[in-house]
Amino acid sequence: MLSALLVPLLTGCWDRLELEERAVVLGISVDTADKSTAKREDEITHTADGFPVPEVNMIRVTVQIALPGRIPLGPGESGGGGKGRSSETVWVVGGEGHTMDDAIMNLQQQISGRIFFGHLRVIVVSEAVAKTGMQNINDYFRRNPEVRRMAWMMISKGNAERLMRASPELERVPALYLMSTMDNAVKLGKFPENYVGMFWSNSAKKGQEGYLPYVELKKEQNIEVKGMAYFKNDKMLGATKPFQVAAYMSIKGMNPAGYRGVVKLEGHENMVMVYATSRRSSFKVRVENGELVFTVSIFTEINLEEKINEQFSVNDSAALEDIEQRNKQALRTTCESLIEEMQQKGSDIFGFGEYARAKKPGYWNKNVGTKSQWQSMFKEARFEIKVDSRIRRIGMKAK
Amino acid sequence: MENQREITTIQAGAILSSTIIGVGVLPIPLFAVRGADSGAPLVTVCGVLFAFLGLFLITRLGMRFPDRSITQYGEEIIGKWLSRLGSAAVIGFFAVLTSLAAREFGEVVITSVLTKTPLEVTVIVMLTLAAISTRNNITTFAYIHQFYFPLLIGPALLIVALSLKNAEAINLQPIWGNSHEGMLASVLTIAALFQGSFIITTVIPAMRRPQTAMKASVFALLISGGLYVTIVAATVSVFGSEETKNLLWPTLELAKATSLPANILERLDAAFLAVWVTAVFTTLNSSYFLAVKEMSKLFRLKDHKLFTFFLLPAVFSMAMVPRNILNMYEIIQNVSRIGLFVTVVYPGLLLVVSVLRKKRGETSEKRSAT
Repeated sequence: MLSALLVPLLTGCWDRLELEERAVVLGISVDTADKSTAKREDEITHTADGFPVPEVNMIRVTVQIALPGRIPLGPGESGGGGKGRSSETVWVVGGEGHTMDDAIMNLQQQISGRIFFGHLRVIVVSEAVAKTGMQNINDYFRRNPEVRRMAWMMISKGNAERLMRASPELERVPALYLMSTMDNAVKLGKFPENYVGMFWSNSAKKGQEGYLPYVELKKEQNIEVKGMAYFKNDKMLGATKPFQVAAYMSIKGMNPAGYRGVVKLEGHENMVMVYATSRRSSFKVRVENGELVFTVSIFTEINLEEKINEQFSVNDSAALEDIEQRNKQALRTTCESLIEEMQQKGSDIFGFGEYARAKKPGYWNKNVGTKSQWQSMFKEARFEIKVDSRIRRIGMKAK
Repeated sequence: MENQREITTIQAGAILSSTIIGVGVLPIPLFAVRGADSGAPLVTVCGVLFAFLGLFLITRLGMRFPDRSITQYGEEIIGKWLSRLGSAAVIGFFAVLTSLAAREFGEVVITSVLTKTPLEVTVIVMLTLAAISTRNNITTFAYIHQFYFPLLIGPALLIVALSLKNAEAINLQPIWGNSHEGMLASVLTIAALFQGSFIITTVIPAMRRPQTAMKASVFALLISGGLYVTIVAATVSVFGSEETKNLLWPTLELAKATSLPANILERLDAAFLAVWVTAVFTTLNSSYFLAVKEMSKLFRLKDHKLFTFFLLPAVFSMAMVPRNILNMYEIIQNVSRIGLFVTVVYPGLLLVVSVLRKKRGETSEKRSAT
């Protein structure tokens, strides 16, 4: 009796999996692959008969696997090996497949440890893949219970695998560098907080489309946030310019604000740089002749950061009011052109549709109702933008 | 045994709340958004009100017969054979409910945490645990619930509060929702999640002051219903109703998307699951206790311990009936909606007949005099 009891108690946990036996994936990238790779592929998730070969284009998936014991846990360990290159802390392997799961399984066949996504922080998808559609990628990660919603997903200009292989100087682990790039962009006000979970939620909404950061690997292995990749359903349509992110954040009233803008004053050479410190915005919607009219009121607080020449001085409040006026106009034009651009593409990344659904449910139920209907109606909606801004401080110089 | 009257009003309330809060916490936002997308909290409130109707009837009945539970006063109200049929239905229903809750628990565990542990093992461990703890008498039973009650409410509220950082009010508007197809079905499904409150019929005969039972019921429904509404509102406001429809267990996903400040814990799903296991345990414990206790009363036995292990194989094999996870949810929805006949219509019938025939428990007047 006692021994019968001991057997289950001593054998321990079914799901025990030692750290060394896991392949902890920190980052993953998805690229398109040549048709020719399909011929090289071994039959791992499909066979010639029975389980068919999926009829989709090939993708190449690259994972960044943490090497146990090599990742420095704190600043104390950094002295030992000198400058640790990324190739010493992670192992980058790639494989092709027809679908996400197919590619991952092809990889698993080559890697001894069980691929584990519990620490996945960054998912990089190449522009080419995003333009053909993200359904398969979203489905795979949403279904997997290990993936966290707080990971960053980003779209890379050009090849995504290069970002996995990049070895930035600042951080020992490349995937963590990518992550901190985005986290700091959020803190500096360069990009809205937009984890993969938020992207999924936004894409699912009837009156909104998702967007993701659009990044590019630069020469020094650094990563530039190049703007927002905007989507329609699951397909990427294009990317904005970096400054348009500021316009987006102004329209949404997102803080912290971080972009600098050049404001041109009277006389063709008088220019100053200002930066916004905080923003507020509110939407209003009304129905006019059966059309939706949105009023966006934006309020920004700005500081003067730089004056481009010495010909004029900023030493009285009248001068600041002038800057205010011009900043208002400039911001309004930028916001209007961003909305217009999105309207042409039919991608409502702002969530105006959601706002209409929430505030004018009667109109929404009668005239819109579905996501595709809103995508076409968004193009015809009218927008009024009101901008107010106040300049508060000018730094440490008196004029 | 029968004359033990030690349960206080607060204990009764705690038993009811911790029984109600159970395995249903995880899918409830999904059930609610299916009814009326952004109107999900409203659907939940309707469900709570409907559930209160059932709880009101059974509490009222219990207060009319403060010394007896449904199997016993049923016989006096509608006669021996009819009532035995009704009691058998109650016992059978709660046995099925126990098994389905255990199965649902097993499915969540096997999908999200212990993917390699066989389903049978998690289910049987949980059921055995429930069976062992039902061998206690009703006072110990009450203390178990009283002990776990704050452990359930506290962390759940904490997760909700932390998740509100990402909430958007726009996701909850319009509050009555955009489409109402299937709203009634959702209300019934949610009301069915509260069926554990039927345990009050077993608790009343052991209460120190049965006339305060209604207070305990209202209190319990406010707490558990309030918690459910808060969870639904938080989930929908964070994810939006359309995304919630994509998630099998939105509440678990909410815990996954929530992190403690200052990066102490980056995802709370593990902590949440720990709380949830306790919640499932208290629910299983109650419904199993109800089935066992009423069964012993049906057979006029003094002690209910005989049935605790006797019922286990039956409950376990019922838990193994659903073929897959979607099949399981279909079965759960159907069974629990049918169960509303047992937990709402049957007590309602008993109450009407007892009022018409002016039947009352003898001791109630004596008790209110003292």
